[in-house]
Amino acid sequence: MRLLDLSRVSVVALRVVRQLKRDRRTIGLITFAPILLMILFGYALSGEMSGVSLGLVDYGGHAVLKSHLEGIKDFNILYLGSESDAEKQVYEGRLNGAVILRPGEVRVLLDATSLQISNAIQAAVEAGASGERASFQKGPENIVVMRYIFGYDLEMMDTVGPAILGLVVFFFTFINAAISFIRERSQGTLEKFMVSPLSRVEMVSGYVLGFSLFTLLQSTTTLLVVTIGFGVPMRGNPLTALAVVLLLGAGALVLGSFFSNFARSEFQVVQFIPLIITPQIVLCGVWWPLQSVPEFIRPISYILPLTYASDALRAVMLKGASITDILYPDLLALSTFFLFFFVAATLMLRREVA
Amino acid sequence: MAGNGDEPAVSARGLSKSFGRLRALNDLSVDIPRGVTYCLLGPNGSGKTTFIRAIVGLLSLDGGDLRVLGEPVARVKEIYSRIGYMTQHKALYPDLTLQENMEFFAGLYGIERSESWRRITRLLEMVNLQEHRNRLAGDLSGGMYQRLSLACTLIHEPELLLLDEPTVGIDPRLRQTFWEYFDLLTRQGKTVLITTHLMDEAEKCKIVGYMRSGKMAAVGSPEEIKRLAGLRPCLELWLKELEKDAAQLRAEGYELQICKGVVQLRLESPEQIKRVLAEVTPLDMRLKEPTLEEAFLRLSEAS
Ligand SMILES: Nc1ncnc2c1ncn2[C@@H]1O[C@H](COP(=O)(O)OP(=O)(O)O)[C@@H](O)[C@H]1O
Ligand SMILES: [Mg+2]
Repeated sequence: MRLLDLSRVSVVALRVVRQLKRDRRTIGLITFAPILLMILFGYALSGEMSGVSLGLVDYGGHAVLKSHLEGIKDFNILYLGSESDAEKQVYEGRLNGAVILRPGEVRVLLDATSLQISNAIQAAVEAGASGERASFQKGPENIVVMRYIFGYDLEMMDTVGPAILGLVVFFFTFINAAISFIRERSQGTLEKFMVSPLSRVEMVSGYVLGFSLFTLLQSTTTLLVVTIGFGVPMRGNPLTALAVVLLLGAGALVLGSFFSNFARSEFQVVQFIPLIITPQIVLCGVWWPLQSVPEFIRPISYILPLTYASDALRAVMLKGASITDILYPDLLALSTFFLFFFVAATLMLRREVA
Repeated sequence: MAGNGDEPAVSARGLSKSFGRLRALNDLSVDIPRGVTYCLLGPNGSGKTTFIRAIVGLLSLDGGDLRVLGEPVARVKEIYSRIGYMTQHKALYPDLTLQENMEFFAGLYGIERSESWRRITRLLEMVNLQEHRNRLAGDLSGGMYQRLSLACTLIHEPELLLLDEPTVGIDPRLRQTFWEYFDLLTRQGKTVLITTHLMDEAEKCKIVGYMRSGKMAAVGSPEEIKRLAGLRPCLELWLKELEKDAAQLRAEGYELQICKGVVQLRLESPEQIKRVLAEVTPLDMRLKEPTLEEAFLRLSEAS
């Protein structure tokens, strides 16, 4: 009966918003951190991406075509061992395309998101293939297969942008939530809550609501910065992207609340950063693909919310995925994460502090 | 609402609570009647805060029976809207203004906006903070912070007020205002339980419970406690011929001591004053009531 009274929830939410609003440092962090990170990661990593990078898998049979491609000045040729590897790299946006040479067959993998570059690759292969036909009178049955892969745009910025959005929201919410809950405990207000009609579920819900309003503000500015400022595409519905971010933020909040029980001071919260935040950055599959993470560590990637959030955000922003496209596994995983730690955080707010 | 209105506001029987080997509550039994100011007096560490936290259900007891406003303590959370608890640690949000702090607590108790504005105005006046309404609580001095905390505790007009050391660091004049306000509340039938380690605070309460080592060592009105301790009023006499007159009074069988040139004489009854004045003619004299402090000193010596 007194489990969830919405007016009490909103009272807590309003208070949280008022407190956050007054925190200048936080406002600054929200606005400038994404810009800084974009510049840091985006430009730094995209600098090496000039020219056309083309993967080459050589199973034999096309010496003339191969040397033709190698001879093109604008192409950086990367020699790869297998077709699947090439496919993956095109998909990840590391390569603009790949050519797989097999006796009797030439397959071309092209990134559909950058038409000019794929046209250039296509033309080069056609030219090389016709040169090959000319040198052998017999005219081998060379079948040239073109395959388009819906890979990411060439620019690193685009791959990184959505993830940075998720990262900033997660980081900010986690730290702020943990500190807020530690303060509630140390300044005695938690004890006062416990002796008021407010239930634990209402309290955590109020926090989720209050922080969500803030996350909304934060992610809108970050989205604007990322799309308008840095030209990252927004092919899907921006509201879907915001929904993903909100769910991620809610997860970070309850995680922060849960972990606040293991810190005795605000200072100790900082010590959670290497434990909670760093693995997410390293293992979320943004800077390098999950497939390249050693297999025994990979399960960790699959329990980290940022992995799913950045996957979903990339799908929405770059591939125009709709909310149903990202329902499984991304939204499901994020919801499960949120619910699990919501329950855990609520249970940890024990009545008896002694 | 369940519970018998005639039952004491708080009724405790044989409460015990240990923290490790420390017995914070040790077979504590006490009744706190409704409509009184009840003072829980005792040195630091005597278990006052522990008892209050047990009353509001923040502590699971090792044993004993505890009823609050007629409800067993296990169901106390259902009557939280009737209880006001001011923690010893003054629980406020330093990054909110006074108004916002009070609004927040009012909201938790579902008090509607116009009503809460009215109450906030009235309470801020009572604690003399009205001109600071829009300042951040964190900018207040210690005493002001304390007053705001009290105001926040009163916002939902609770039936049972539990105030853990509410007057620490508050100047005497304002303290007087507080006591007048508490009197007003008790006249409305509300119960005010106050803990303190200051004797002069206790004097103002209707009933004083003296706690020592997790137990009630003595309970009663301040006068009853003084009587219980065997204390009598003391007549102080300034005499012209100190030695001679003192010797004469001693010879008459009066119990007296001389302190800094003043004769202090314990009275058995008020009529004795006349008889003393028949023996000697003092330059000046004064009747001194025993203090609670003396009473407790006497009581703790006895135990
Ligand atoms: N949560 C706790 N854990 C351990 N010891 C406690 C706890 N709370 C109180 N105590 C101990 O219980 C005793 C009574 O404390 P308390 O009720 O705070 O005394 P008072 O309020 O009268 O000063 C003290 O010795 C205190 O150290
Ligand atoms: Mg105490």
